[in-house]
Amino acid sequence: MMHTSRLLFSLALVLLFSGLQAQDKKTAPKPATQDSVIVKTERYGFRVGVDLFKLSRSFYEKDYKGLELVGDYRFSKNYFLAGELGNENKTVNDERLNFTTKGTYFRVGFDYNLYENWLDMENKVYVGMRYGVSTFSQTLNSYLVYNRNDYFGETATILSGKKFNGLSAQWVEVVAGVNAKVFNNFYVGFSLRASKLMSNKKPENFDNLYIPGFHRTYDGDFGVGFNYTVSYFFPIYKTKKEIVVKKKK
Amino acid sequence: MKKSIALLLLLAFTLPGCEKDDICDPSTATTPRLIIDFYSKSNPTELKNVTNLALVAEGHEDEPIGFNGVSRITVPLQSTADITQYKFILNYGAENTAITNVDNLEFKYTRTDIFVSRACGFKTLFIFGANPYTLTDAEPADGTWIQSVTLLQPLILNEDDAHLKITF
Repeated sequence: MMHTSRLLFSLALVLLFSGLQAQDKKTAPKPATQDSVIVKTERYGFRVGVDLFKLSRSFYEKDYKGLELVGDYRFSKNYFLAGELGNENKTVNDERLNFTTKGTYFRVGFDYNLYENWLDMENKVYVGMRYGVSTFSQTLNSYLVYNRNDYFGETATILSGKKFNGLSAQWVEVVAGVNAKVFNNFYVGFSLRASKLMSNKKPENFDNLYIPGFHRTYDGDFGVGFNYTVSYFFPIYKTKKEIVVKKKK
Repeated sequence: MKKSIALLLLLAFTLPGCEKDDICDPSTATTPRLIIDFYSKSNPTELKNVTNLALVAEGHEDEPIGFNGVSRITVPLQSTADITQYKFILNYGAENTAITNVDNLEFKYTRTDIFVSRACGFKTLFIFGANPYTLTDAEPADGTWIQSVTLLQPLILNEDDAHLKITF
């Protein structure tokens, strides 16, 4: 799974880079016969969007409902304040357990843009970090008792319905992703994240096997996730910089 | 550029979900069995091995649990009821049926289910309250071969130590 994600991500990066480069060639000015001045405009502002993956999953997966809003604010040439706010309602039907987790999460952090935009391009190929917090409740719907010495046969599923409230978890994440302008102020983005659980307030006699926004791997301390976003950019101010293109000799 | 985005979209939606990769580890402590140690009735501090002891639970008459030449036995308890009834049959299947002796031993307890892990689910722990066992003679009326039963540990939480002591 990890291997597949890594491979896909590298592939995605390569594809995007090649796409962006192709565009470079199209928009790059023709070699000038004399020195010319080009004005490069940098726009600053905030961008808000929604995770399409969670949204679409809510339609095709009957045990899942989720929504994630994403946003970033460009406060310097390469740095963005970034975050996500989400809500998830997930029922996990495991071999031995069936439980429902409901809760809200947010992540806040920064992104660093690695991509050198040419002229009025506004793409983002970034790495970043997040701090995540989630508060949620869990309902244990049913379970099985494990009996290694099966003299009396496998016991039937036991219905519980016990609800655990006031649970929470905190984690840190590293993020890598791309965000590309498609037209006007509309952007599409893709990001992959790996997270490590820092604190986890577990219920008595159960475990936080699903943590909204964390994407826990089976029952370990690590999580992996991704999102696919569409967002809109609200410009606030601009800076202009003149670039001198030297005449070719 | 638009092509690569379309491709990305396609890739994102074909990512497989996380696969179940965990099974309940055999070394994990799950539902414990009752541990009984057998002692000699003439010297109650001396362990004594049982000979062809068979345990048959009510409703499982054709599935005897056999023990031979051991002084410690492990007895499964029902995790769906607060009672488990066994026939303790000494010299089970002996040619000379005169030496075969059957006693009824009934265990009463309360149960509590404890979460173990995602792969294992829950385990049941048993707690012996007042009058946890009842010893009676079974047909034929030949007296009980078990002389005494003593409770050592009323909490059946694991299989590390004996919970019950029987002299015969």
